[in-house]
Amino acid sequence: MDENKIVSAMLVDDEAPMRDYLRASLLKVWPELHICGEASNGIAAVEQIDALSPDIIFLDIRMPGKNGIEAAMQLSHRTQIVFVTAYNEYAIEAFERGAVDYLLKPVEYERLQQTVERLKLRLQEKKAQLTASLSMGHAYAQAKQIEQAQQMKQMLEQLMQQQSSQREYLRWIQASVGNALRMISTKEILFFRSDEKYTLVQTEQAEYLIRKSLKELEDELDPHEFWRIHRSTLVRVSAIAEVTRDFRGRQMMGLKGRDEKLEVSRNHAHLFQQM
Amino acid sequence: MKTQDENPILHFVINVAETLSVLWWKFFDWAAVVSWFSLGLTSFVAMIFAGFVGIGPFMMMMILAAILIKAAAGGKRKAELVASAAITRAEVESLERRLLEAEMAALQAQIEPHFLFNTLALIGQLIATDTDRATAVHADLIKYLRAALPQIRQQGIGQLGQQIALSRAYLSIMQARMQDRLQYKIEVDDGLTDAQFPSMMIQTLVENAIKHGLEPKILGGSIFITAKRHNDQLWLEVVDSGMGLNLHADQGVGLTNIRERLKMLYGAKACLIIETPFDGGACFRIQIPYLNR
Repeated sequence: MDENKIVSAMLVDDEAPMRDYLRASLLKVWPELHICGEASNGIAAVEQIDALSPDIIFLDIRMPGKNGIEAAMQLSHRTQIVFVTAYNEYAIEAFERGAVDYLLKPVEYERLQQTVERLKLRLQEKKAQLTASLSMGHAYAQAKQIEQAQQMKQMLEQLMQQQSSQREYLRWIQASVGNALRMISTKEILFFRSDEKYTLVQTEQAEYLIRKSLKELEDELDPHEFWRIHRSTLVRVSAIAEVTRDFRGRQMMGLKGRDEKLEVSRNHAHLFQQM
Repeated sequence: MKTQDENPILHFVINVAETLSVLWWKFFDWAAVVSWFSLGLTSFVAMIFAGFVGIGPFMMMMILAAILIKAAAGGKRKAELVASAAITRAEVESLERRLLEAEMAALQAQIEPHFLFNTLALIGQLIATDTDRATAVHADLIKYLRAALPQIRQQGIGQLGQQIALSRAYLSIMQARMQDRLQYKIEVDDGLTDAQFPSMMIQTLVENAIKHGLEPKILGGSIFITAKRHNDQLWLEVVDSGMGLNLHADQGVGLTNIRERLKMLYGAKACLIIETPFDGGACFRIQIPYLNR
């Protein structure tokens, strides 16, 4: 790397006008920068990196296919990454903690200038490290590089985890109605009742028959959203109005806005034991 | 002198008559709605009292009157009172419902700050490269803001035509941003533009279709809005060719809000139906009673 080598950058954003905007802003702030390529999603960015090998990559976070964080996992060891993110996305705090370069959309002139100064500094440092590692401070320089890479990786892994941390429960039930596939939100459902071959899904306005068994449903639904109250009944907790005893001593459950009562079996009576 | 003497007496007589009349109607009301058991009990006590004081015959008459009133007017009078109480209650409830609806309408489809920022950035960029398109996007943004800003937008129930115009402006802006990743088509049957339609609901569906349907798809896709009359109902559909519903993602505030508002505005006469078309994507349909202004 000699002093006059042109620095190259790649722009990745799913909206073309946003790339144009960033390109125009960059040209004003850093006229010598060579923009060597553009991509409209994470997958394309990863594919093109070998051919283009840019020094810097400007990465949008919310993108189809592979988002910016996922792409960065694969790219961070080969290039300087600058995240470009919309203002209310969660990651900003993480970037600040991880001392990563990021820009808020739409990119402001002064902010871009700061980032560009920092990038120039970093690229110089990297070059210095490289020359150092070639001569004598070999081990030290390498260790520093490895440390930086590790920090970045750690932060990205944290972000990935944040994105997919909760276990995902079933939130929509599919039922055939005529020749269409109806989607029923679990928030609409009052209860499920098994009915020999089928399972009945009861909402406030309608009922549907589905093939999924009560056992399968119980496994896939959020246990805080639906409770099993009987061998053949699964009820939405927030739809429960009251539990009373009938003259035979059985516990009967009333639902909000409905006259019909559901039986609570002895095995599940402990759910409604008085304190 | 005589006239001066007469007046106080006349006044007194009129006063007494008025008081008696008020007492009589109070007695009437009481007799009409009191239960037979309390009427019997009160009569019994009154008779004993009257016996002591020596106004037995008068009291007998009063009791007889009360029984007659009760027999003749009791049912009707009671029904009237119950009905008027019910009307007051219903008025209070309907007022509360309207207030709640207004609050929820204000929360529906609030403008996302980064939509505004990104659109302004786009206009800035287009001013440098393509002034005609900059002017067009600028005009669409104004159209969108005029209908979507909570401070000036129509609350509660608006008109279908105006709600469609809002979403058309929004889609036009999004198309300038997403370019060939978004196509859209809007079809409203003749004569429906003046029909009543709750505010911001179409916009919520359109924003959902873009955010969860098309934006996550590399090639993007299309959005198709139709409004049709089905007998006495109005059906509004927003169909997208996007990713389809994620079965593990919550239905979200926007859709919950639409459901609650429909219930408040139309009871069981309206609903939001969501379907997965066989060729993928998602279809959202709002069915409400057809009402023309």
